[in-house]
Amino acid sequence: MAVKLEVQAVGKDFLIPVIDSVSFQVEAGEFVCLLGPNGCGKTTLLRILGGLEPPSRGQVRLDGRPVQAERRHERHVGVVFQEDRLLPWLSLRDNVALVLKPLGLERGARETRAAGYLALAGLQGFEGYYPGRVSGGMRQRAAIARALAIEPDVLLMDEPFGALDAQNRRIMQQEVRRIWAETGRTILFVTHSIEEAAAIGTTLIMLSARPSRVRAVIRNDGSQERGKLIDDLTTMVMEEVERQQGAEGRR
Amino acid sequence: MLALVLAAWTLLSRRYGAYVLPAPWSVVTGFGEIVRSGEIWGHSAASLSRIAIGFGSAVVASLLMGLGAFVSRTARGVVDDLLAILNSTSVFVWIVISLIWFGLSNWAPIFTTFMITLPVVASNLVEGVASVDRRLLEMGEVYRLSPREQFTAIVIPSTLPYLVAGMKVGFGLALKVSVVAEIFGVTSGIGYVMNYSREILATRMVFVWALVMILIMFATDKVLFDPLNRRLSRWR
Repeated sequence: MAVKLEVQAVGKDFLIPVIDSVSFQVEAGEFVCLLGPNGCGKTTLLRILGGLEPPSRGQVRLDGRPVQAERRHERHVGVVFQEDRLLPWLSLRDNVALVLKPLGLERGARETRAAGYLALAGLQGFEGYYPGRVSGGMRQRAAIARALAIEPDVLLMDEPFGALDAQNRRIMQQEVRRIWAETGRTILFVTHSIEEAAAIGTTLIMLSARPSRVRAVIRNDGSQERGKLIDDLTTMVMEEVERQQGAEGRR
Repeated sequence: MLALVLAAWTLLSRRYGAYVLPAPWSVVTGFGEIVRSGEIWGHSAASLSRIAIGFGSAVVASLLMGLGAFVSRTARGVVDDLLAILNSTSVFVWIVISLIWFGLSNWAPIFTTFMITLPVVASNLVEGVASVDRRLLEMGEVYRLSPREQFTAIVIPSTLPYLVAGMKVGFGLALKVSVVAEIFGVTSGIGYVMNYSREILATRMVFVWALVMILIMFATDKVLFDPLNRRLSRWR
């Protein structure tokens, strides 16, 4: 399999070092979940991968080319944020069609493609609705449709279901898994929920406490029993949280 | 309620005489007279054209200030300070200054209107610009929208309600202020004709022209601002 994304010794400081040095590789078509204790820089790492923020050290390569914050025209990354970030004054269809403009598609082609991806995300029949008129889960579906519509090299998702209730969350996890299987996109999914990661990721990357490094990379191909996996990961997170509290106590 | 007010008005009018308080019915017939004679159109048009120039320039200047505040943080600070000063300056100051600068001419009410409505419209707009959701702009960055696309798709729609609200208040203020400024130095307009009516002891006509002002305000709200607001809040 081809390597899609390479993270090479990436570090980031915000007054204090947040990310020490993180390296890993993502192969094309993988569904990677980034896990770690709160405040370990998961979101920051995702923003670096998306070119929204420059790293303090190291570099990120997408399809072999370096990702740089100032060269955004070369980037082809879809991002689903914690909030839906839809424009409330545009219908769901227009929200998706808007991000297709920079791809140089004609109006008709934009709308057709927008409708297609909204349908893929389970929003057929709701294309003309304004975001304020649909539920939070549906807004997040539309945000996913928007990210997929640009047919990105990598889809970055930053705790996209954090704001949803438990039931919707489970439904959306299955939906993302289905969409991943149907589209074959490479997905990087940040979450603090171990159950969520174990349920949807093919590869789980556990970060250590701040300043973070990669603590473990685990293949989640079904060879390991789900319950044991969750237990192991939980133990790891607990250790990291304790370590962080210990470090802060000494300071 | 309305009947009660009219009854009280009529009684007070009887008690104090038509010079102090003309009866409601006489105001209505007076209104009929200026409509028939066509006098209403000339003076209203004179006032409205001054408002159009003064208020219109204030809106244009506000748009430039809003744009400046959006583009640069420094400009934002300058605009904020300037608006704070303008906001605390009285109508009378501008009337006196404009009389000194422009003498007895059309430009006195126009300038006064401009200076008074500018801070109202501009502070609304600057507030609107400041309230643009940075997270939406970041979304625009992620999806590589050009600066122009970001401006038209994100900045303008989020600022427009603030602009319309500012214009609605600003227009009401423009009407009130320009009429005061018209007392001095011009020979047309609602303010002029009200003051003239007072001088010739035609209190009834003062009330009639006050009614004209109310109707203009009412009409612009119903014809212009309310439909505009409805259209803007379609998605809510």
